[in-house]
Amino acid sequence: MLELFQNIFAPPRHMILLVIAAWLGLTLAEKRAERFNVSKDDLNNVTFYGLLAFIVGGRLSFALQNLVAFTKSPLGVFSINPDLFDATGGIFVAILVAMIYGQRKQLPFWSTLDALTPFFAVMVIGLGLSHLAAGTSFGYATDLPWGIDLWNAPRHPTQIYETLASLLIFGLLWSLKLNPRSGVHFLSFAALTALSQIIILTFRADTPIVLDGYRQMQILAWVVLAVSFFLIERRLNPEAK
Amino acid sequence: MNRSQRITLYILVLIASAAWIVLSADGSASDAIADTPAPQVGFAAPDFTLETSSGETVTLSELQGNAVLVNHWATWCPPCRAEMPAMQKLYDEYKDQGFVILAVNSTVQDNPMDIPPFLEEYGLTFPILLDQTGEVARAYQIRSLPSSYFINRLGIITEVVIGGPMSEALLRTRIEEALK
Repeated sequence: MLELFQNIFAPPRHMILLVIAAWLGLTLAEKRAERFNVSKDDLNNVTFYGLLAFIVGGRLSFALQNLVAFTKSPLGVFSINPDLFDATGGIFVAILVAMIYGQRKQLPFWSTLDALTPFFAVMVIGLGLSHLAAGTSFGYATDLPWGIDLWNAPRHPTQIYETLASLLIFGLLWSLKLNPRSGVHFLSFAALTALSQIIILTFRADTPIVLDGYRQMQILAWVVLAVSFFLIERRLNPEAK
Repeated sequence: MNRSQRITLYILVLIASAAWIVLSADGSASDAIADTPAPQVGFAAPDFTLETSSGETVTLSELQGNAVLVNHWATWCPPCRAEMPAMQKLYDEYKDQGFVILAVNSTVQDNPMDIPPFLEEYGLTFPILLDQTGEVARAYQIRSLPSSYFINRLGIITEVVIGGPMSEALLRTRIEEALK
């Protein structure tokens, strides 16, 4: 079953899973957009510009970080190869463009994030599935009966943990009654995702290690969790100092 | 849940997760995968010995100390053909710094008679290895062509590029990373 899935979506086809997730996530977000006082058109536009900025920004960020290589062959900027990409730079540019668009259209910041939460949640599920298809984000070798054969060893199926956790988070947020305070829906998603990552990253063998054994991404996830809690409390009690 | 209950919950969750991070810290993680041969970034590159199109024998592990690009290709594969000129150009540019290309022809699914005219057409001077049994393709778990593995001087895979063609800029960034 797993082998069939990995054969069908072997790289570079694993990216199809992200495209499907983006489409499905946006469709679900549209369905509930009006509950958050955000129109479907605005939601579509902010997502479209954000995704476009992610693609263009990711490529430009990569080119800027490797300026010498691109100076010698400038047409490389237009190469169709997706490996010429910096995802962090892409996310930064996407956030920037989405914020500029939101401000120009006077979209309510927290409500728009709440409306986009199903989109983000489904994208995280798609990301887990694409990791599973590509064999990336792999786990430590294990003797546990649910270990999967990957990279010449039975390993923790961290990609499956990731997918199941994000499915659970999506299901929880989709079924729970919405908090009347804007932003709480999105911040709950951020906190739950950060918490799930802190646990799952323990079993991942490919994460950068800092300070003699600490996983950099776990520390980052902990900071996201703390900031999410702080902001949830601020949204629930705007008057509290 | 009132405000003080919520704050207590936040603090408990933050303390528990911080404790989890500290208790699960493990400095040996990257060392463990670097010792295991597997065709993925961070692992040791699976070793192989193959004959070149000119009859010499090449063993990957004997090239340790060099940065190596192992490129799996076939003559009938259009993106493989398209990336060859850039590979040749950068091979000429970087070979003196210790950069080697091993172009592993998937001979098991290619016509060996097509290889010499192909080499001539593209003026390729780097070693062309013949994977006649498909053993190396299996070791590298090849699912599509071209597939390229950039290996650093320690024999660790630094980058995997599946599909192509690789542009000159992409090749240059990956080669420089492998040469570090």
